[in-house]
Amino acid sequence: MTTATATTLDLADIQGDILRAYGNAYASTTYVFVRIGDATAGGAWLAGLADQITNAEPWADGKPGSHLNVALTCAGLTALGLPDDVIGSFSAEFRAGMAGRAERLGDIGRNAPDRWDDGLGTGAAHVLVTVNALDEPHLGRALADLRAEVARHGHEIVVEQAAHTLPGSREHFGFADGFAQPAIEGATDDRAAGGGVPLRGGRWRPFAPGEFILGYPDEDTTLDPERRLPSAPTDPLGRNGTYMVWRKLHQDVAAFRDTISTAARHFEDGDEAKLRAKVVGRWENGSPLVTHPDAPATDFDGAAAGANDFRYHGPDQHGAKCPIGAHVRRSNPRDSIGWEGRLTYRHRIIRRGMPYGDPLPVGAADDGEERGLVFACFNASISRQFEAIQVQWLNDGNVFGLGHDADFLMGGIAEGGSMVVQGECPFYLGPQKPFVTVRGGEYLFVPGIAALRAIATWPR
Amino acid sequence: MTAVTTPVLSETGTGTPPGNVDGQAIAITVFSTVKRWGRAWLPVLFLEPKLLPQTLGTLEKLSFIHFARWSMVTELAWNGAPQPKTRLRRPHLYFESNFNGGWEEYIDAFSYVLREGMAAFWGSSYGFPGAVPPGPFKDYIKTSDRRLEASHFYSAYADSTVTIVKQALELDGLVADLRERAAELSPEQFKAEFSALLAKGQRCL
Ligand code: HEM
Repeated sequence: MTTATATTLDLADIQGDILRAYGNAYASTTYVFVRIGDATAGGAWLAGLADQITNAEPWADGKPGSHLNVALTCAGLTALGLPDDVIGSFSAEFRAGMAGRAERLGDIGRNAPDRWDDGLGTGAAHVLVTVNALDEPHLGRALADLRAEVARHGHEIVVEQAAHTLPGSREHFGFADGFAQPAIEGATDDRAAGGGVPLRGGRWRPFAPGEFILGYPDEDTTLDPERRLPSAPTDPLGRNGTYMVWRKLHQDVAAFRDTISTAARHFEDGDEAKLRAKVVGRWENGSPLVTHPDAPATDFDGAAAGANDFRYHGPDQHGAKCPIGAHVRRSNPRDSIGWEGRLTYRHRIIRRGMPYGDPLPVGAADDGEERGLVFACFNASISRQFEAIQVQWLNDGNVFGLGHDADFLMGGIAEGGSMVVQGECPFYLGPQKPFVTVRGGEYLFVPGIAALRAIATWPR
Repeated sequence: MTAVTTPVLSETGTGTPPGNVDGQAIAITVFSTVKRWGRAWLPVLFLEPKLLPQTLGTLEKLSFIHFARWSMVTELAWNGAPQPKTRLRRPHLYFESNFNGGWEEYIDAFSYVLREGMAAFWGSSYGFPGAVPPGPFKDYIKTSDRRLEASHFYSAYADSTVTIVKQALELDGLVADLRERAAELSPEQFKAEFSALLAKGQRCL
């Protein structure tokens, strides 16, 4: 184990988009999964890509028209000829892959890997190139170049998934999404209030960077008299990288709307917007129910410093304002289960999702079209962070005293899930049709830029 | 207790031996060798729970922990062949607990909210790295020669967690009470009482 020294983030070596979102300016994101033909040609292609990657330094000359970022699956590391002992230094869940963890993740039945889109969860997806672009012309050019280079090196594109921001940065169910993020020391310290580690007396501090970037002190290091660093892949791969979870989630928008509008007939004054908010824990514009229980704040800006500065236990222990089973309260419970959040703060993720498919017009019946969310997140430990949220908090409700109720926004593994909306008189929602179905996904390693060059030129 | 020689454990995902899982319940055991001073200290600790008032209260509040028990073992009973006779040259601390949920989250609770208590119990054991940070502590607990696989582990309500059982019992009490009084209530009174029951029992629904 290595010991921590300096903690300044090496922004020139960290891929962009991990620590800071490219923002709404980048309206289009296309995810291209490539299968490597031959290891040497794979190295040559990646070496070329490494020169084009956007790093995390602030942009000197305004917004670039497009960005490339690169991540690899474990099958990809093998296809590139990395030796077993190096691959063995990666985390067990990364090596197993998302499909290999299906049972634990609840990816069974309608969500099972054998029903996933072609090219996902089979070992065929080796490298993920994420292309962010300001507009269609920039996207078209970047993709054309990428496709040509992939073909020239004898590789093959196995999945090409387009995604676009929807008006108002909404996801398909209609909610503002993607703004509540962890605050990281040395990068987003200004977001500590509401985004960092909750402390006594309503105070907060930013997260140690090692929670999200490999090779840096994490929250354990902070408590450790010996200042040991968390485990990471063998050097130089373990520096300035992170792990990524990529999951394509289909959303049944018509089913969601029908369920809520039918149920709302019996809810407080038939208030549909409020019932929708109860399921998420925020109003459609993002204002938190715990701070705005009766109506949304009109001018809410989720990205503003302090916008998410609230706790659950003190103001709303029993869920009268924000239900205990609301999506945001489950996925980031803060101090909801007590102890000032000490039992939850090690399970945070940086989310960088993007909707895919066209919106379903309001009032329209299901049109059978593919639409949903490309859920992408970054974390230093997939098992401790993403998987704990998915498995302990979203798929099961026991830690919150909600029995086996799954997150109502997504629906559980089986049909017929339910949710109790706490209040003066509790309101029962359910049995539900699941609203979200997994279309496929991969666990990936996002190398630092020097690490990507090392992979590209690995002696084979 | 029964002697188990170096157990060979196949790992489940959580590092829990498969024999220690039944439905929602997971059993954990840690068998550690105690240093000389622990032989005097542990009996004092066991007899004087006031030494650990916070730990015991917190343990009760952590709803995913069914129970936790520490005991000192000075000799191993011999139940006849093929069990080898084992002499313990030093006393051992035997910890057993049942819980539900994630193994990692369980140990995190020890590290983050029960730190002092853990040091009091395990501080006199060889190799104890301290409860914080949780990484080395988890490795310590996971080390296979400290873990035992249960030869028999039974859970009466395999699909339920202890929280679910407790909530069901609480709700049952509320319902039984209303049922008893229901015959004497007017429909309006019943409606009001039923709403009151829902409001009161909503965290058990
Ligand atoms: C189609 C599926 C999903 C939809 C529609 C959805 C929607 C939302 C919305 C509307 C918010 C509130 C806006 C915000 O805080 O940025 C949110 C927050 C969040 N979601 Fe999801 N989500 C989905 C899947 C997931 C999954 C799979 C996870 C993790 C395993 C997750 C974890 C989170 C987290 C951690 C937050 C932030 C909560 C906070 O910090 O307050 N979500 N989601």
